[in-house]
Amino acid sequence: MRKDLVFGMAGSGGDGIVSAGDSLLQAASAEGYHGVMTKSFGSQIRGGESSCRVRISTDPVLNPGGNLDVAVALNWEDFLKFGAELPVAGSTVVIYEAATGVPENQIPLVGVTPLQVIAVPIAAMAKETAGTERAKNTVVLGLIAGWFGIGGEAVMKGISKKLAKKSMELVEANQKAFDAGVAFAKSHPLKADMTVVPSSTKGAVKLLTDGNDMCAAAALFAGCQFFGGYPITPSTEIMQFFTNHVWKYGGAVLQAEDEIAGIGAAVGASFAGKKSMTATSGPGLSLKSEMMGLASIAELPLVIVDVQRGGPSTGLPTKTEQSDLFAAAFSAHGDVIRPVLAPTSVADMFRTTVEAFNIAEHYQTPVIILSDQEIASRKETLDPIDTSTFKIINRLVPAGADLQDYKRFKQTENHISPISHPGMLGGTYLASGIEHVESGAPTNSGSVHQRMNDKRIKKLDPLKERKDLFEITGNPDAPLALVAWGSVAGVCREALQMAQAEGLDVKLMVPYLLYPVAEQTYRDFFASVQKGLVVEQSHLAQTFKVLRMHLDLPKGLQSLARSGANPFLPGEIVAALHHLLSELQRSHEGKLQPQE
Amino acid sequence: MSATCEFQAKDYKSDLKPIWCPGCGDYSVVQGIYRALAAVGRPPHEVAFISGIGCSSRIPGYTTAYGFNTVHGRALPIAQGIKLANPDLLVLAAGGDGDGFSIGGGHIAHLIRRNIDITYIVMDNQIYGLTKGQLSPTSQKGRTTCTSPYGSLENPVNPLLYVLAYGAGFVAQASPTDLAGMAATLEEAIRYPGFAFVNVQSPCVTYGEEAQQIKGLKAISENLSAIGHNPADRLAAMDLAQHYGEKLHLGVFYKNPEPPPTYDALIRERQAQLSQGALPKERILDLFIKK
Repeated sequence: MRKDLVFGMAGSGGDGIVSAGDSLLQAASAEGYHGVMTKSFGSQIRGGESSCRVRISTDPVLNPGGNLDVAVALNWEDFLKFGAELPVAGSTVVIYEAATGVPENQIPLVGVTPLQVIAVPIAAMAKETAGTERAKNTVVLGLIAGWFGIGGEAVMKGISKKLAKKSMELVEANQKAFDAGVAFAKSHPLKADMTVVPSSTKGAVKLLTDGNDMCAAAALFAGCQFFGGYPITPSTEIMQFFTNHVWKYGGAVLQAEDEIAGIGAAVGASFAGKKSMTATSGPGLSLKSEMMGLASIAELPLVIVDVQRGGPSTGLPTKTEQSDLFAAAFSAHGDVIRPVLAPTSVADMFRTTVEAFNIAEHYQTPVIILSDQEIASRKETLDPIDTSTFKIINRLVPAGADLQDYKRFKQTENHISPISHPGMLGGTYLASGIEHVESGAPTNSGSVHQRMNDKRIKKLDPLKERKDLFEITGNPDAPLALVAWGSVAGVCREALQMAQAEGLDVKLMVPYLLYPVAEQTYRDFFASVQKGLVVEQSHLAQTFKVLRMHLDLPKGLQSLARSGANPFLPGEIVAALHHLLSELQRSHEGKLQPQE
Repeated sequence: MSATCEFQAKDYKSDLKPIWCPGCGDYSVVQGIYRALAAVGRPPHEVAFISGIGCSSRIPGYTTAYGFNTVHGRALPIAQGIKLANPDLLVLAAGGDGDGFSIGGGHIAHLIRRNIDITYIVMDNQIYGLTKGQLSPTSQKGRTTCTSPYGSLENPVNPLLYVLAYGAGFVAQASPTDLAGMAATLEEAIRYPGFAFVNVQSPCVTYGEEAQQIKGLKAISENLSAIGHNPADRLAAMDLAQHYGEKLHLGVFYKNPEPPPTYDALIRERQAQLSQGALPKERILDLFIKK
């Protein structure tokens, strides 16, 4: 029996592979399992290749998993397009469509001998039982239920609920297809028992959602009342969630004419006194950079979500990458610091988004949330979140004495000035992108510019003291270390557990605050480190370079960086740690020799 | 909405000294705005005045309203966010012809089709003044400037025809040649419930051509009410607007006699309808519970 299984399925666009994944995850969550599902597509809307990866576990899931335990290929051409996104290993059971005509001993996977390979006449079974090949995905769900013991009744309950709206005949047809899948599995038992242990938390309340919906819900919770944006993959669902719900809370959404107008409207709404946000992906972030500079100099709170995808330009629009860190931290001209936060999972997207609004409001600054395609579109089962433990911060508004001779950009001890908004009597001022004196009046003075830059940069200093924006796990004095953020952090968390189980003395730092760089926090973390890896999905190793720009890194700290789309696997990180350890041991031996 | 009370033009004038050249047409525009705001009677703190970049875009700072001197070409996107976030505000947007019809030219069509209740004033001087005299989108073909030393090869845009074609509910033109008329036109634009556009022919005394100075403008100006134009007739308005650049028609080209509901009003309705039975914000994550 197994406690954890990773499924990877691929087919062409109309095969319903992603909806099968959805059904499997929902059923597993109803049965009390933890789970994560990621989707990956070609960029075609119809007819292209599509895939999903579903990980089901009795314990909380840290990432979508490494090598597949179960691979399902409805056709090989599409399956192979995903390459390292769906890695098959010696431990994988491969299930594929018999109609492909490929013999079981000739499947087109080079250099690997799977645990077991089974050709199943999936399309024929669907046609025979349900009268249409469109039920192929239901047959697959039946096979999974039969072989792995997941989602028996719950799957059909979910499917029935969905289809009952259409017709009862469809429900019956799908039931037959499902049963055929189960029966096939029962009559062709696997060599090894791969059924999953029943969950001990069956019946417990669980949440099931993805990173984009969680981000939008968190923003509403934080009091966001305005969203201005423009459709762009893979961030659009944030705007869609908003437009379904924000009106109920007295807010509004504007699907603007372009990316610039989207953030422009959000800047306007913030000037008008409302918490506001925009969301985009790489190309949109490039377009929005001038407005981000405006929000910085006008000291207006604003949250900008960048759901990263492969770049530059259109790049890989449907796949994940971590290559927007430079753009988030450094785009927009001028001397400016813009806080950048990154969630590592759907679960902590809630906390990260609430934090982004709190920082934006408190410090009167734009804040970027660097999400990524994987977190944005992966579905996770989560334990309920107690929202009452979250503090909500609102901007400092002038009152009483502040409004006598009000100065919008007044110098204060913490460099934060009370901010009025249109409609507030006594608070009128000129906001501007041009440099200004304390009242807001434009100036060309170099010394005022120096003072105002000082104010805008220094006000953010306390952020760097926030230890709670960093997660450090493992032995604090360990000589080996990992640093990772965003969706890669989950892979490293699992790698840490595996490495510790193998006896390695290693620790992991996951920064939620990427910028400004909290130099001292890193220095403290690196104090014991002799060898380590900064793991990231960026060909240029942007994180490693940003860190190196801000502090002296330990000599043994290396970069483990590559382009996006192909996920890191926990096993490869553990292997890299072993390699570092042996290097370390060699260098110690080398040093010790002269003393012998 | 607060009750209107008595305000005078001077109540809207700030202490900032304009950076404009002596004789610039924009001095008259800001005077016209003071007068129009006083006539409408909204207190300065309930007015948000948004501009882009350029000589004319300095204008919000010369009023006592809440001002926002933003980035080049983006007065309208920002103004719409303000109006949608707080529909109670009186929102004005302003800028030059380059700001409105070149770098920011993509926005006006969309504000018009949304019909957001904003008054947009373009100070049209057919030149880039703040960057010292380059070709602008309304410069005449053949015009010699420092970026068209051998004469411009481009046709100018026609701002009036553009906005009429986009479907604006209120389209007017004014000029410093008639300050009282300009104040009255601006007042009417502000009072119009919906997107209102006023093109102001505002001469650039430093880089403008002779024909575009006050004297030249007076010579080609014609009052639309004096020639018997019916502002409810959109086709007649488009016909007249074709003479942009040759004639200076002053007054209201088009005013929709039956203004449709504004976007901001529709938002209010939707908010009121949907607020019934909303989950408390603290329980928003209940939306993700799977039963």
